[in-house]
Amino acid sequence: MNLSGIVVICQPPKLSAVSKALSELPGVEVHFEDRDQGKIIVVQEALSIAAEMNGLRRIKALPGVVLADMMYHYFEDDPEILEGLTKSRGKQPMGESDVIPPLPIR
Amino acid sequence: MTVSRRNFLKAGIAASTASMAGLTLTPAALSAAQETEKEWQWDKGVCRFCGTGCGLMLATRNGRVVAQKGDVENSVNRGWQCVKGYFNAKIMYGQDRLTQPLMRMKDGKFHKEGNFIAVSWEQAFDEMERQFRRAYAEKGPEGVACFGSGQWTVQEGYAMNKLFKAGFRANMVDPNARNCMASAVAGFYSTFGTDEPAGNYMDIEHTDTMVLWGANMAEMHTVLWARVMNRRLANPNVRVVNLSTFRNMSSDGADLEIIFKPNSDLAILNYLAREVIARDAVNWDFVNKHTIFATGPYDIGYGLRADPEGKWTFPEEADVVAKELKVALDKHEAIGQRRQEGEVVEQNSRGNPGAHWSISFEDYKKALEPYTLEFVAEVAKGDDSESIEEFKRKLRELADLFVDQQRKVVSFWTMGINQHTRGTWANEQIYAVHLLLGKQSQPGNGAFSLTGQPSACGTAREVGTFAHRLPADRVIPNPAHRQYTEEQWKVPAKTISPKVGSFYAKIMRDLQDGSVKWAWVQVNNPWHTHPNANHWIAAARKSDNFIVVSEAYPGISAKVADLILPVAMIFEKYGAYGNAERRTQHWREMVPPPGNAKGDLWQVLEFSKRFTVGDFWGEQTVPGLKAAGYEDNKLPSVLADAEAMGYKPTDSLYKVLFATPDNMQYKWPDPVAKGGGNHTSEALGDGWFVEKALWQEYVPFGRGIGKDLADYDVYLRDDVRGLRWPVVDGKEGTWRFNEEYDPYVTKGAGFEFYGKLLKAIPSGDLDKVTNPEPVGLPGKAKIFFRPYSAPVEQPDENYNLWFSTGRVLEHWHSGTMTRRVPELHRSVPAAVLWIHPDDARERGLQRNDLVWLESRRGKVQIRVETGGRNTMPKGTVYAPFFDEGVFINKVCIDSACPISKESDYKKCAVKVYKA
Repeated sequence: MNLSGIVVICQPPKLSAVSKALSELPGVEVHFEDRDQGKIIVVQEALSIAAEMNGLRRIKALPGVVLADMMYHYFEDDPEILEGLTKSRGKQPMGESDVIPPLPIR
Repeated sequence: MTVSRRNFLKAGIAASTASMAGLTLTPAALSAAQETEKEWQWDKGVCRFCGTGCGLMLATRNGRVVAQKGDVENSVNRGWQCVKGYFNAKIMYGQDRLTQPLMRMKDGKFHKEGNFIAVSWEQAFDEMERQFRRAYAEKGPEGVACFGSGQWTVQEGYAMNKLFKAGFRANMVDPNARNCMASAVAGFYSTFGTDEPAGNYMDIEHTDTMVLWGANMAEMHTVLWARVMNRRLANPNVRVVNLSTFRNMSSDGADLEIIFKPNSDLAILNYLAREVIARDAVNWDFVNKHTIFATGPYDIGYGLRADPEGKWTFPEEADVVAKELKVALDKHEAIGQRRQEGEVVEQNSRGNPGAHWSISFEDYKKALEPYTLEFVAEVAKGDDSESIEEFKRKLRELADLFVDQQRKVVSFWTMGINQHTRGTWANEQIYAVHLLLGKQSQPGNGAFSLTGQPSACGTAREVGTFAHRLPADRVIPNPAHRQYTEEQWKVPAKTISPKVGSFYAKIMRDLQDGSVKWAWVQVNNPWHTHPNANHWIAAARKSDNFIVVSEAYPGISAKVADLILPVAMIFEKYGAYGNAERRTQHWREMVPPPGNAKGDLWQVLEFSKRFTVGDFWGEQTVPGLKAAGYEDNKLPSVLADAEAMGYKPTDSLYKVLFATPDNMQYKWPDPVAKGGGNHTSEALGDGWFVEKALWQEYVPFGRGIGKDLADYDVYLRDDVRGLRWPVVDGKEGTWRFNEEYDPYVTKGAGFEFYGKLLKAIPSGDLDKVTNPEPVGLPGKAKIFFRPYSAPVEQPDENYNLWFSTGRVLEHWHSGTMTRRVPELHRSVPAAVLWIHPDDARERGLQRNDLVWLESRRGKVQIRVETGGRNTMPKGTVYAPFFDEGVFINKVCIDSACPISKESDYKKCAVKVYKA
């Protein structure tokens, strides 16, 4: 699971509409709003990380959104990292390496 | 994970993000943020990727990074990160991370044609040493080389530089930064006499006009671009101009977009300079007090390997390579250089392309005379669908913005200008326009050369890890600079060879012709990123050389290697980077490296233990030393002097160069570590804090000459987020050369360009030197005239499209790291070829079709893209180079700026046809 803290900036008059649209996106929770600055803070939860990236793209595409970017990223339980850790953290066995693919030559 | 735990984390992350974004929070929300983060250990870090130098905060638990956020305390990015930066921690956790030395073996021993077998460090260093000794014995100091990096930490670069230049007595180390900003360096040296920008990132908030010269900041310097956009949105008067050879993401945020033909930036810059004079907008007070005018030869070649016998050239590329020695001027060059069209010009100044001399203002004005609006519009208009009148209007508007007395102007550039067969010239021309207007070295006014790599400035440039450089603006050919360096390093006089070593491309060529037989690669991927790659891969795989590649992941260079050494990555080691605004930022080792991986610095030091001063400090055979006043072919023995200094021939290089009595005073552990580990010091096991000691050894080089760095512990303080040099009296630098801000400027001078290099030059007219007597020009900058020059290879009937390459936002360089981050890989999995829909249609192609992209040098298969983030003008195609499955550098030409030796990745001729 990946959690990301995202700042969404919109034109202040459109804040309510943007905030509503955000809260309707799957996996997205609106936590804070600043009406004067036109800022909305959401936390996005995504199972896979691809979903997380697509989610950010969805947010950026909402009408009224000027800017949206992740500022915070939590990935302690990310399954892909855990898999990477198990594969690479143990010492590689002595013997022929299977990680070096062939060389592209003309 | 339980629901309550998840909600707890979310509340904390939300509150922390809100606080970073400048929202006012209730005490309850604030304490939620603190509660969540309490179980993690937080430390400051700096981004691994581009030259912006964004600050990060990393959270670790149980020996690994578990969370990351932008650092709001860091003035560079104020908490913001781009999508690449966001995944700094994840690049360490790819599944194919290398964690054990791998060597090509057959029958239990090294074999060039063997398969990669995991070996111990001991076995790895044994073979590496054996091969090194063989190459050195056969070829001397110039038979070994190192491909270094602008991604080296300061200490890593410093150690390798010292090992080669003082230990091996070979100036055969050159960084990939050569292909990134060598033209910027050459421009700084020739114009100001000292390297690196005068301004800083605060210029963005001070200026009202920002001009992008072939720099797609929206994708390549995203966080700076966010600052640019903030500035523009908040101030209706602000104007942003994007000059490019195709429409890119930066155009979306620009008020004015100018699409020009490859190399015609040279003409546009001359139009601007001409216009400044024609409109009587020269700031004469500034120009008279602080500048002189200068020019140099035009017949300087194209940085290709001259090869009249066709020994090193594919038959298909021979026609282009022939131009290296002789070229017929085209119509536009002839006008711009005041010559006749078709005139054949022998490239006679190839041997000294950077020579230059002062000229009068009248000559300067005369040289600019051909660059009228009509002429430049004809040369430069890069989009067929635009009318010439519209293009002229845009050029006029650009000139209006520059000359407007009320406007401050900042020019930004990176690879479009630097990776250019006339890159040094283009850099000088941008300075020329700013200097003529007096819009330089003031808040919001200045030409600002950005960088592409995280420590291109800090390591490659400041430490001087180029084949011609020594730390802090010192250069190999200058005897006083060598002497100073030898004294600082406590090595005998004449240890350092007076001969400039091989630049990056030359090391490739040396491997090709067999003059280099042993090479070590650190923190870069030369066989992926150097253009015209088919030649270099074949050369590296020749039977009698030995290639060592220190790598984290198996990229193309690892596959080329004979020995792969697994490295520690960014937060697995102590380090420091220097960014584009001269900000030096240090970080601690936060997590241990995996398996048997070890940092590049440890590898250098461990390797140095295998050699003694006696191995190198006797007489060595080095050809071509006569010019430096040495006996030809002889680099003298310094062993007698060494013994007088207390060294024995049997002393190891490790002891003499690194673990010196001075350095051993910096003990490990050190309170600055806050209890954390340091695998470098611990693996060496002799109790010194390597990174701190080397930093302290290095900093005196820049002190008192305008390049002052602070002591080590200052940078590690919690309240410091890097410091811009010069750090004088505890205060960091702001705007260089300006009396108001720069303590190095003489009181009362106003401005002073106090750099010392290339500051005595002969004088002459536009064509030649007329008085060879050098005249000093202390405190002054040079305004150069440089003419339009056509690209060495241009589209013809066969190869009928322009091709350009570069990065995409999501990937870093050759993708070795970013392609390990699944989300970055998925968002841009493979390189695509951006092409104009008409060009596609004419070739019977549709979006997503697989095509061959072919040049004289090689071909690759790639899919076609007619939409998306880039919009190509007809006749020009673009593909990024990150994807090793689409090996773009087989296609690119290896022409380069002959002064800086930086390759031109931005223009060559290709054809595209269905695969």
